[in-house]
Amino acid sequence: MTVFLLRRVFQSLIVILIVTVLTFALLRAIPGNPAIAILGPNSFRNPGAIRQFDQQYGFNLPWYSQYWLWLRHLLAGNLGFSWKLNQSVASLLGGHLPKTIFLVGISTILALVLAIPIGVIQAVRRNKFVDHFFNGFSTVFYAMPAFLLGILLILFFAIKIPIFPPEGPQGEGLGVLFTDFNALILPIISLTLITLALFSRYMRSSVLDNLTEDYVRTAKAKGASERRVLIRHVLRNSLIPIATLLGLSLPGIIAGALITESVFNYPGMGYLFYQAALNSDYPILLGITIVVAVATVVGSLLADIAYAVLDPRVRYVSQ
Amino acid sequence: MGPAPSQQAQPRSRLRSKFALVVVGAAALALVAAGCGGSGSSSGSSSGGTKVKGGTAVYALPPSTTPNYIFPYSSSADFSVSNISYLQQLLYRPLYWFGKGETPNYNSSLSVANAPQFSGNNVTITLKHYVWSNGQPVTASNVMFWINMETAEPSNYGGYTGFPASVVKNVKVVSPTELTMTMDKAYSQSWFLYNELSQITPMPEAWDRTASGPSHCTTTVSDCKAVYTYLDGQSKTLNSYASSPLWSVVNGPWKLSAFNADGHITFVPNKSYSGPTKASLSQFKEVPFTTDSAEYSVLQAPNSSVTVGYLPEQDAPAKPVDQTVGTNPLHGYTLSPLYSWGINYYVTNFQSTTGNAPIIKQTYFRQAMAYLMNQKSVIQGPLRGYGQFTTGPVPNFPKTQFLSPSIPAGTDPFPFSESKAKSLLTSHGWKVVPNGTSTCTNPSLCGPGVKQGQGLSFTFPFSNGVAWTTSEMTQLQSNAAAVGIKLNLKPEPFNQVIALAGGNCVVTKSSCNWDLANWGGGWVFAPDYQPTGEELFMCGVPANSGGYCSKQNDSLINSTLTTSNMNAMYTWQNYVQPQLPVQYQPNGVYELTEIKDNLKGVTPQPVTLAINPENWFFTK
Repeated sequence: MTVFLLRRVFQSLIVILIVTVLTFALLRAIPGNPAIAILGPNSFRNPGAIRQFDQQYGFNLPWYSQYWLWLRHLLAGNLGFSWKLNQSVASLLGGHLPKTIFLVGISTILALVLAIPIGVIQAVRRNKFVDHFFNGFSTVFYAMPAFLLGILLILFFAIKIPIFPPEGPQGEGLGVLFTDFNALILPIISLTLITLALFSRYMRSSVLDNLTEDYVRTAKAKGASERRVLIRHVLRNSLIPIATLLGLSLPGIIAGALITESVFNYPGMGYLFYQAALNSDYPILLGITIVVAVATVVGSLLADIAYAVLDPRVRYVSQ
Repeated sequence: MGPAPSQQAQPRSRLRSKFALVVVGAAALALVAAGCGGSGSSSGSSSGGTKVKGGTAVYALPPSTTPNYIFPYSSSADFSVSNISYLQQLLYRPLYWFGKGETPNYNSSLSVANAPQFSGNNVTITLKHYVWSNGQPVTASNVMFWINMETAEPSNYGGYTGFPASVVKNVKVVSPTELTMTMDKAYSQSWFLYNELSQITPMPEAWDRTASGPSHCTTTVSDCKAVYTYLDGQSKTLNSYASSPLWSVVNGPWKLSAFNADGHITFVPNKSYSGPTKASLSQFKEVPFTTDSAEYSVLQAPNSSVTVGYLPEQDAPAKPVDQTVGTNPLHGYTLSPLYSWGINYYVTNFQSTTGNAPIIKQTYFRQAMAYLMNQKSVIQGPLRGYGQFTTGPVPNFPKTQFLSPSIPAGTDPFPFSESKAKSLLTSHGWKVVPNGTSTCTNPSLCGPGVKQGQGLSFTFPFSNGVAWTTSEMTQLQSNAAAVGIKLNLKPEPFNQVIALAGGNCVVTKSSCNWDLANWGGGWVFAPDYQPTGEELFMCGVPANSGGYCSKQNDSLINSTLTTSNMNAMYTWQNYVQPQLPVQYQPNGVYELTEIKDNLKGVTPQPVTLAINPENWFFTK
């Protein structure tokens, strides 16, 4: 087990290193001079400014020297400084990341809480009205672009019937999310509806698959009630693919959050990344990439460890 | 300012097409009320209703734009409309103010100094009685502080034009209120004021320091580097702005009450402001937006707190040709279009290495291309009526003393005509193949360097970030195809187009392997408010993107720099306009400003893109 863990940790470090090299190389391969992108066209009047920028940020060095410089800073805990926003990447992440986590977290939990019973009911009442209703519901929201749903929600619930504000909570820090929670309702509903549609469809399908399994028939033959079979046996097994789906769809949810954040004037990490890409603000792009890469690799590592602990077959095979 | 991109206001450089520097043209309220210049709609003007003292005006910042650099001596990276107009100039007043009514003209009332007095090669600057918020007077030494900084750190100033080093031999503080400069020769008084002195912002003595204590940049140029480094560092600690003992020393009409790096900024009146109009509002707040759609949603909501916002162009109903403002879809707001002080154009690369340079150098060809740009159609179509013709190297809206009387404002100098374009080509040895590729059949007529059988096919990268520019490019491609000119459009991000074509490729040693390019914004003049052309059209200057070069043109531009008589400006324009050193295209509206009906004093909005909330007041 120890060897397995050490090997996985080592692999994770290699993966992160490769991600940093690839990201760094890809950013350097983008056409156009970053100094001009940052300094703007003014720099053409003052070529000294471009030279100074290149020297200050190491663009006059070979790419591998630039990479080494950046890596040294990273190992020292310095994620860099945004050329465009005049703030450290760490402070920008500190301001934006919690907002995205909060929005995505609540929406995902809500979607799960609703999707699981909806999927079960649909499976149990297959081809009945309730099944058709939720099928239609999920098809509509699954197909609907996030921005359209956001705009419709604003139109109906902020402009026509002004129950909620048309924008998310404004101001710095997480505290504002609680003091102005009313403003967070429409963004949460928007993101929840789209995620819910996806999860409920998978849940229905998963429950239907399990209902035809032998162990269900066996349980029923042993006299277990429908309710007990459903909750104690089918539900638990049906959740396994949902758990996998949850992990796989997190990037998609965060991407969806970018749109929702834009529509509801709620700048989170997705929006920060998007703006940095438009502005060629490499330090932010690199910083976010590293954070996401580390989170992904650590998450994957933890999952592997959990599987190894929980499933003897995985441990046996890995050994 | 310079090239105008679309949304990030960079004074004096290419402003991105949507950046609205709301220029501070803070004409005193009394002056505005008295009709101090400007056309503008009556909406938001100072008339109507009973004035109420106090209240909070909430100003919607342009999408994805937040002020983040407070030190007025800003490098190119921070030399933006958002920093200058929405932050710095509200706190720290420049020596000379430009923006009177909606024009970019010198505004003596809002200037910290009296009009400069010229005598031969000498200029005398006399300061008015202004005080800093710490009680100290604004002195000639504060002006010297800036001049020394610009002498020591030219690379770190985004508006640098060579002043003072290249035009001033000597600067001397005569008294606390008087300073004299000796120029290396006699310059046009107007040019020296509008393009050189316009850069200066007096800086308080409290800023003349480093981390280790007071310094002497005010008197010793060699001390300025360390002072700059310190102030630059302080300007990058955003969350300390409101409490900083440095930045709280102001001479403008406002001081910071709260500053959040996310763009939520609150200003309160500076009670010791020495200018002509003290703020009537009790607070002025700026709020950030991710997109213009998000901002529009907030404006549409009942009881929106935003008092000055903007209507996204895509949501604006088309404006009738005979009106200045079209229907406003928002209730409770008044619509006021804001244009920037600039010209818009796409670039023809005279130094192209694709083999097309000999063609591009032919005036007849450039004129044929000009006839194929349908400015009127673009303004009435994709711009929904909110655009101005570009008529030459000098902006024609608003009409100013700089525009040659021979160049009518508001009309296309090369009105769309396929037949004229075709005629120019056929009369110069080209076999025109509609919807194909026209070829040169008579090289002696086509022009020097053009080969027999050479086709009219050009690479054309353009910025794809702005919808109307994309429509315009598609239309131009279609128009050109009708006379056999093949435009190979390459939509690219703004940054890539500007990096490729924003500077003179030979001077900046970048690739010349392109023919035509359009970053979408042309050039905005600030703080070089007098559009004399030495930065854009002289041989070999870095911002002469296409590399147009003419000795006669250079000579005429030099005259505009040294002759105070405006006739020199007119002679130059009359010469260069039909030469088409660049290809003129419409100047799209910078912002469709929406002003709450009970807020007055906002209009007229100056084309310098400054804002003057000290003039604003609520009515009941």
